[in-house]
Amino acid sequence: MPVAEDGSVTDALVEIRELHFKRGRNKIFNGISMDIPRGLVTTIMGPSGTGKTTLLKMIGAQLKPEKGTVNFDGQNVHRLGRRHLFDVRKRMGMLFQSGALLTDLSVFDNVAFPLREHTDMPESLIRHLVLLRLHAVGLRGARDLKPAQLSGGMARRVALARALILDPEIIMYDEPFTGQDPISMGVLVELIATINEALNLTSLIVSHDIGEAMSISDYVVIISDGAVVQAGTPEQLQQSSSEWVQQFLNGKADGPVPFQYPAPDYHNDLFSGDDSQEKR
Amino acid sequence: MLDWFQHFGRFWIDLSASFGRAHLFLGRLLLSLPSLLVRFGLVVRQLYASGVLTLSIVLVSGLFVGMVLALQGYNTLVGFGAEESLGVVVALTLVRELGPVVTGLLFAGRAGSAMTAEIGLMKATEQLAGLEMMAVDPFKRIFAPRFLAGFIALPCLAAMFSAVGVIGGYLVGVEVLGVDDGAFWSQMKAAVEFGDDVVNGLIKAVVFGFVVCWIAIFQGSDCIPTSEGVSRATTRTVVYSSLAILGLDFVLTAIMFNV
Ligand SMILES: Nc1ncnc2c1ncn2[C@@H]1O[C@H](COP(=O)(O)OP(=O)(O)OP(=O)(O)O)[C@@H](O)[C@H]1O
Ligand SMILES: [Mg+2]
Repeated sequence: MPVAEDGSVTDALVEIRELHFKRGRNKIFNGISMDIPRGLVTTIMGPSGTGKTTLLKMIGAQLKPEKGTVNFDGQNVHRLGRRHLFDVRKRMGMLFQSGALLTDLSVFDNVAFPLREHTDMPESLIRHLVLLRLHAVGLRGARDLKPAQLSGGMARRVALARALILDPEIIMYDEPFTGQDPISMGVLVELIATINEALNLTSLIVSHDIGEAMSISDYVVIISDGAVVQAGTPEQLQQSSSEWVQQFLNGKADGPVPFQYPAPDYHNDLFSGDDSQEKR
Repeated sequence: MLDWFQHFGRFWIDLSASFGRAHLFLGRLLLSLPSLLVRFGLVVRQLYASGVLTLSIVLVSGLFVGMVLALQGYNTLVGFGAEESLGVVVALTLVRELGPVVTGLLFAGRAGSAMTAEIGLMKATEQLAGLEMMAVDPFKRIFAPRFLAGFIALPCLAAMFSAVGVIGGYLVGVEVLGVDDGAFWSQMKAAVEFGDDVVNGLIKAVVFGFVVCWIAIFQGSDCIPTSEGVSRATTRTVVYSSLAILGLDFVLTAIMFNV
């Protein structure tokens, strides 16, 4: 087990060190560091807008940090040339929050796309692999539909099939559970766990569904305000003495976690008669 | 007043920054072109989208422009008793000027705006980011085929515009206004030079195709990824392309025909 008693990681596939990142004046990461243990299911949780999606994009080197490093299997992804970066990305699967399917291709062609781009497989083998993946996500019958004809949850599952088709080493899921009905949700949770087991993957999930996330993950990282609040196994977190962690895990409105985006004092804002909005 | 200066300064900074980005973009675009040699199918599909689908509007416009040229030309020429030269006037105007320019403008409005909107939407719906994460270079897969296709399509469209225009001129000049059939064609044949007129016209079309596709693809990939951002980028494509075509046409004409 690559996670020690005290919640530290002994064998990390992804190491994030002292990452700093700003969007305009909005500081998103303030020297965040974490490890993603190899071969396990890791969940990143945190209030909406703390930069979980941003963090995934940093790991995929779509965004560059101002300071700090992201190492994937020992390589700093932000230092790689284009060709090497693409080689590393072939080893990553990413499930976007929106699905990001190619709208001019059918479901089948979307899932087949990475194979056709990166391999010389014969069409019969491609068909085989694609149907296998589509069957796993329960959408083998939807192969001829266009992405516009899919519901949000279906699109997300097609995207999952596509992310898996190249047999990546790590797969990053951005909110895979939102928009799924209870049945597909159960199937998805099951699927993520099975895939991780069977293909010897490392899974990184960003999720708000505390119940689901805690039940399938081996390791959980809670982030807020650009830093890690706490990391550890689900049991370790459940027993956490931090008031913050308890509030977040139990979903209470009152406590140290702010629900509001940083804003001026509510009372002053309402009654000061400040017209700065109109001026802008 | 200070505010005004600030806005003015910001405008120029933004403009030159975007100009710089556009040139870097062009560099990468050109470097991606060789990869198309092995995947020409991608270009063929774009040729259909930008070329074939623009064909109908180009042919109809060409016909009408040719007919108008014949009407106007006849009225002027007949005063000098030179209506036999109608074929020359129609053909030279079309081949040298109106063919490339009007086709370029139509192309910018029909195909260029579509390219910008398509790429902008791909950006807004994270399809470009998705490609990047699948280790597929959007420059090679998305941008370069569209660029090359536009570049090939525009000269072909311009040539067809001119050809149809000449037919329109013939219909009005010879069939309706009664210019002599033989004189119409023989004078045209004698006056229009392949090297000077036809080739120069095609060079113009190639340059316009290059610029329109560059602007359209850059605007799409550089847009703010929202519906408003995409719609603004589409407008910018049409405006910038039209201005570029008209400006470049002047420069090219000065170089080609006035030495
Ligand atoms: N393109 C952008 N330009 C400017 N700011 C952005 C942009 N994208 C995100 N942000 C800001 O970055 C912060 C983090 O965004 P991010 O999408 O990473 O949040 P998140 O943790 O994934 O939230 P959610 O759980 O709601 O998906 C937000 O405060 C947002 O305002
Ligand atoms: Mg997010």
